[in-house]
Amino acid sequence: MNNFAKIKHINSFNLVEYYSVCLEEDEDVSLFEQFVAKHTKENKEKLNHILSWIKWIGNKYTAKADYFRNEAETADTSALPPNNPNWEPNYIEWNNETQTGETNNLRLYTFRANDHVVFLFNGDVKTADTAQNCPNVKSHFKMANTLTRVLEQCFRNHDIKWNEEQTDIELEDDLELNW
Amino acid sequence: MKKNSIISDWLAQNGDPEIDQFVEKNLAITEKVRNKLILKGWNNGDLAKAMGKSPSEVSKWLSGMHNLTLKSIIKMERALETELIHCEPIKEFEYVFLGMIHGADDFNKKKADYTASSEMSEYSLAM
Repeated sequence: MNNFAKIKHINSFNLVEYYSVCLEEDEDVSLFEQFVAKHTKENKEKLNHILSWIKWIGNKYTAKADYFRNEAETADTSALPPNNPNWEPNYIEWNNETQTGETNNLRLYTFRANDHVVFLFNGDVKTADTAQNCPNVKSHFKMANTLTRVLEQCFRNHDIKWNEEQTDIELEDDLELNW
Repeated sequence: MKKNSIISDWLAQNGDPEIDQFVEKNLAITEKVRNKLILKGWNNGDLAKAMGKSPSEVSKWLSGMHNLTLKSIIKMERALETELIHCEPIKEFEYVFLGMIHGADDFNKKKADYTASSEMSEYSLAM
């Protein structure tokens, strides 16, 4: 079965351009917008931390690999929040009774094309040790890896081109991602 | 391609400024520590040794799992020989604009007339 998707611009910050993709069946609503709509209702604070993180790295630091966690399975997929020892998620669910904290278990799957261009997909609350074993995030993790692979191919085919400074991408508005 | 501002709009409508500021400061402090470690050619273990702490404790400090205290930030400042938090100098005085004095135009005109007349006058000295 053939699947189609289109690229949609999400946000420009000083140093990073964020994009997402709209699956054929969802028309103009991108995967990232679905993620935001769902977790605005269910996990607003955790979502706030991730969106603020996206904003601040976009405005001040660029999208360095250190700011993301590796979620590569079949392609170079990553996710937020990060898990590098120096960069654990900066959202804490602190329990006053036990005096222990849990990191942000909300996952947003991404493809970091370079330090200046990032694709934001979908995600959910991770409840198992691995994404493959988590009923909530497994489908988002798989889809993110598939889309990353398709996007990487588009870069190789020059269907998606870099601008001169490699700070943004150039593509035809009607470009369809197929897999 | 149409440009959007979906994240900025969400933060403007739904964002908690306290969370946003927490993320900003947390990133700023950790970024400074990270850059200083790179400059010194250190890893987390070296930083732990310089502070007399265990590597796991330092990892916890830098992990976001730990709500950093001022004391632990100062320990890192001393070990890294840098300032992670800057204190503003105390101001001894500050010039403040208090507004225009009513009738200042008249005063300025008289001042200008006097200056002009004194520049044009020639005085002879009595010997």
